[in-house]
Amino acid sequence: MKLKIAAIALFVAGLGVYPLSAHHSFAAEFDGTKAVRLVGKLTKVDWSNPHSYFYIDVQDDKGQVANWGCEGAGPGALSRRGLKKGDLKIGDTLVVDGYRAKDGSHLIDARRVTLPDGRNIYGGTPGDGGPGDNGPQQ
Amino acid sequence: MSLQEICQWINDTGPATALRESELAFPIVESIHVLAIALMAGTVSIVDLRLLGIVLKKEPVSQVADQVLPLTWAGFALMTISGVMLSAAEAAKLYTNPVYRIKLVLLVLAGLNPLIFHSTIYKSVSAWGEWPRPPARARLAAICSLTLWSAIIVAGRAIAYYH
Repeated sequence: MKLKIAAIALFVAGLGVYPLSAHHSFAAEFDGTKAVRLVGKLTKVDWSNPHSYFYIDVQDDKGQVANWGCEGAGPGALSRRGLKKGDLKIGDTLVVDGYRAKDGSHLIDARRVTLPDGRNIYGGTPGDGGPGDNGPQQ
Repeated sequence: MSLQEICQWINDTGPATALRESELAFPIVESIHVLAIALMAGTVSIVDLRLLGIVLKKEPVSQVADQVLPLTWAGFALMTISGVMLSAAEAAKLYTNPVYRIKLVLLVLAGLNPLIFHSTIYKSVSAWGEWPRPPARARLAAICSLTLWSAIIVAGRAIAYYH
């Protein structure tokens, strides 16, 4: 009988951990108190599911250049907001407002991306619970 | 060619890139993967729970298995196809993902479990198949199955939280 209860408990526990939400949440990886604005030249675009990534070279106060990764929503969500794959061109200077990764690496969650023509797009993953999630898209 | 290079090559093939960069196909394949897992793990659990003597105690084990396992295989096939597609789409990223590696090991173990079960204790199912509570060897196989598939689902979900 103990075996039966243990087996059921284990099984239920296993299924219980499986959340019904979409992909990973904002808070799993990023720190909502560490807001940052990055300005830099685009070096690479990973237009990919379930999250897109793009990379920019950012110069710090001391003149050191570092390559930063910016995580955004997947192709579906971004294109519904009007950002298409070809809109990001290598060498473009982008302004990216976001939040730093908890592990302190050169990775941010890109909440807002401003293109050279002044157009700006909400970059967050829908339903991730991060700052501005489901908020007004000005 | 190293394993990493192979993963990168798979990642960069046309179909994998198209799926990775798609707007609709990727979430559709993801949904099919979850539904297939539900079919597979749900139906195999019925057999496992029968082996543990928890449900369908009056039904012979072989009858439960014969009726339920074809659905398990259908779920398994769909799960594997969709899983391979998703893995190919993200192959370069998954190569370095520790949880993905754990999941692959768990999948091998979950595959070995029924192979061992069917080639050993299940061969004598005619002798014990009508017992409400099957022998310990059969119950152990059922616990291994429930534990492994639960762990695989947890690992699958956890892949998204590691890079």
